[in-house]
Amino acid sequence: MTNAPEKIIIAEGVDKYYGKLHALKDVTTSVHRGEVVVIVGPSGSGKSTFLRTLNQLEKIQAGTLVVDGIDMYAKDTNINKLRENVGMVFQNFNLFPHKTALENVMLSPRIVAKRDKKEVEEHSRELMYKVGLAERMHNYPSQLSGGQMQRVAIARALAMRPDIMLFDEPTSALDPEMVGEVLDVMKSLAAEGMTMVVVTHEMGFAREVADRVLFMEDGALLVDEAPEKFFDNPPHPRLKQFLSKVL
Amino acid sequence: MQDQQRVWLWNSVFVAIVFVLGYSIYLASGKIDYTWRWDRVTPYIINTEPQEIIAPGDGTLELGSDGKSLHLVLDSGADPFIVKKYTEMVAAEGDLIFEGDTLATLNDWQIGPIIEGLIVTIEISLYSLVIALVLGLLVGLMRISANPALRNLAILYIEVIRGTPLLVQIFIMYFFFGTVLDLERFTAGVIALSVFTAAYVAEIVRSGIQSIPVGQMEAARSLGMSYPKAMIYIILPQAFKRTLPPLAGQFINLIKDSSLVSVISITDLTKAGREVVSGSFAPFEVWFTVALLYLVLTSALSWAIQRLEKRLSASD
Ligand SMILES: Nc1ncnc2c1ncn2[C@@H]1O[C@H](COP(=O)(O)OP(=O)(O)O)[C@@H](O)[C@H]1O
Ligand SMILES: [Mg+2]
Repeated sequence: MTNAPEKIIIAEGVDKYYGKLHALKDVTTSVHRGEVVVIVGPSGSGKSTFLRTLNQLEKIQAGTLVVDGIDMYAKDTNINKLRENVGMVFQNFNLFPHKTALENVMLSPRIVAKRDKKEVEEHSRELMYKVGLAERMHNYPSQLSGGQMQRVAIARALAMRPDIMLFDEPTSALDPEMVGEVLDVMKSLAAEGMTMVVVTHEMGFAREVADRVLFMEDGALLVDEAPEKFFDNPPHPRLKQFLSKVL
Repeated sequence: MQDQQRVWLWNSVFVAIVFVLGYSIYLASGKIDYTWRWDRVTPYIINTEPQEIIAPGDGTLELGSDGKSLHLVLDSGADPFIVKKYTEMVAAEGDLIFEGDTLATLNDWQIGPIIEGLIVTIEISLYSLVIALVLGLLVGLMRISANPALRNLAILYIEVIRGTPLLVQIFIMYFFFGTVLDLERFTAGVIALSVFTAAYVAEIVRSGIQSIPVGQMEAARSLGMSYPKAMIYIILPQAFKRTLPPLAGQFINLIKDSSLVSVISITDLTKAGREVVSGSFAPFEVWFTVALLYLVLTSALSWAIQRLEKRLSASD
């Protein structure tokens, strides 16, 4: 054992095709435990696709992916088991509309992890409190605002006690006044040492919270830098162009 | 105020049209010199006449040890014929009785053949509904499966069943499968109806599942749920809610289609109607009664499903 934090995500030479479309081109990177990595890039550059390969919502055609010490494509890998340790938050929340906020949070720990009901309920209430929705626990998603729904979605992912959290544009579907409340929850999560991979257009969040910022274009990973260098001294002409448009 | 008046006006028009239609049926029957005799139909629905209890063989009538029940000790030496429930004795204790004599009368309501037929129709429909729901769900899931063998089997089944008439399917089920597998009429009828309805239920289930946004399945899987768990806890409950109206329609069709099993001599409501017509000589009354009873069944079902829909809409 070394003192350096382990690599909790290792991607090597990852290739992904949608039919003929080459969506990920030889992507190689890694994430250490406790690190916050933000991925930016123009729309259609493969950010979501890459994120979704990390819990195998998308399968890859070439390369290796080791997540939480497990080779995803090894024969004996149980992908459901692996996903229990990798939470995901979606752009469109994807809350379960037929369940209340609390039920959304409690469901997977109960039926997948099969944890004790009392313990799960207590933990879920804590999480609802933590995302600032203690008063909204018994509301159905249809009775919540976008920002509230996204915070429930974060609590739902956290309820499985994951080692890694993946965020795919968590604030892009929100009205501007609700972006802050979701980013605040994410910031506090980062402060607690959660390993996070975040696809976002919130450059402020990237600069403030990220340990590293990745830039993707056309399915290729072009830049992997600390935020200061990334924003103040962009090391790639394409990134310079991109930043000039979004900042 | 203006709107209110208009609503009233058109509601009155509606009532008037219905009244005119009813009256023209009455007039039409007058034209063919038909006398409506509803009293002839009622005994076939519920019989209120006192029934006679008839001796099944020769023997001697005795009172039972409780002093109430009648024991007909048969000359043949078989077990005595015991009558526990009756209103009035016709024969007396100790009488010699011959086969066919009336022992006593019973003033008790008895359901007539039409109600018996109604019960058979309800039974057939209920069994078929449950089987069709299970089978349809299974085939619907196969239909959207990634496995080509399962998917093509489901497509074949759906196409064959939807491409042939139900009446022909009932005949094939009864005469071919019924003979090969030694099925009773009732079983053959239920299977034919279930298999037929399930093909439509499968398509309803498929479109219901596909109407749920893919993000729901992705969110469920990202939380570690297996495909079956995600289906059971996330997709199907939502799909079920959306498919209730078309399912209701399908099950109402099932009740109506069940009248076709009368062709393989199952005495359902329709067959009972046919039999009663020849006994009562009141065809118009009988068929209107039968139609009304079907209408009661289908309305009860659609009412029940509407209730269920309301209950499920709590999360909307
Ligand atoms: N399910 C899919 N089928 C086919 N093409 C897809 C699919 N998902 C994404 N793509 C394509 O892959 C490319 C990368 O998409 P995506 O990863 O969603 O980009 P980003 O998240 O950076 O906007 C795009 O060209 C997109 O059209
Ligand atoms: Mg995207």
